[in-house]
Amino acid sequence: MKRIILSALVLILIIAASGYYYVFIYSKNRKFDMEHAESMNIKADELVKAFQENEANANKLYLDKVLLITGVVGATAKTQAGENSVTLSSSDPFSGVMATLDSTVTSQVNVGDTIEIKGFCKGFLSDVVITNALIQ
Amino acid sequence: MKTTALSLLSTLLLCALTITTNAQKVYATKTGQVFFNATGGIEKIAAVNNQTDSKFVDQTGQIIFAVLVKGFKFENQLMEDHFNENYMESSKFPKADFKGYITNVKEINFSKDGSYPITVDGDLTIHGVAKKVSTKGTLKIEKGQPQIEGEFVIKIKDYGITGLYIGDKIAADASITINCKY
Repeated sequence: MKRIILSALVLILIIAASGYYYVFIYSKNRKFDMEHAESMNIKADELVKAFQENEANANKLYLDKVLLITGVVGATAKTQAGENSVTLSSSDPFSGVMATLDSTVTSQVNVGDTIEIKGFCKGFLSDVVITNALIQ
Repeated sequence: MKTTALSLLSTLLLCALTITTNAQKVYATKTGQVFFNATGGIEKIAAVNNQTDSKFVDQTGQIIFAVLVKGFKFENQLMEDHFNENYMESSKFPKADFKGYITNVKEINFSKDGSYPITVDGDLTIHGVAKKVSTKGTLKIEKGQPQIEGEFVIKIKDYGITGLYIGDKIAADASITINCKY
């Protein structure tokens, strides 16, 4: 009987420790592997048009998906939080694809370069917003 | 004679309209910050959105802030997943925004550096529910560049957000802090 109680206690302890590890340690330190993630290929102009023409449908297709976007660099900047950002132009001068680069990215790009950016699509405001982006 | 006078009047009106239009300035940012904090227990429940889109007009005080809900970053990925899936339903309601006015915009001298207290009234839409919000903040001018800072508190359940732990591990009232450099 004593042995059963002891085994049950050990089991409960293991489950509790596993839960704690998963919620508070693993989930906190887990980093998405953007480099090796599967992605959908799309041109910057097509992506902007998709959101402008039917935002609800574009959200269904692209929201929170990993996209590999090809386009011409229209601007580079630092965000208010100090992150590097790259905006890919579209045929609409008032709207593009704004990607905030992953903090580990050191690639230098210049306005006018044609590049590929891989990142999470977060939706559409003035621009299509991409986060955690890598330059391919 | 009557035609000449009418033409002159039209020209004057057009000039006046042009001057008024030119005098009005729209300030904008696409990388403002919105902080969210709903810590109710020991575990910190807080996130930041660094891609806040905001514009305001200096003459009228008209102002807008918009964020993509999936753009909020938590320290804990699991918490971020729960925030989006179980509470904010961000696939269904991908945006949150505030549209309103700086009611005392006339008291701000945009050509003089300083810190100006502001009052902002408008509609805050979260989770597809719009509510009137009135809050105070600060508009700072530094070298001609404005920066708006403000904080207000919302009752999470007022916006139709339900889910476990609200009022327990998740505070019933969440504080929202805005910091936008234009």
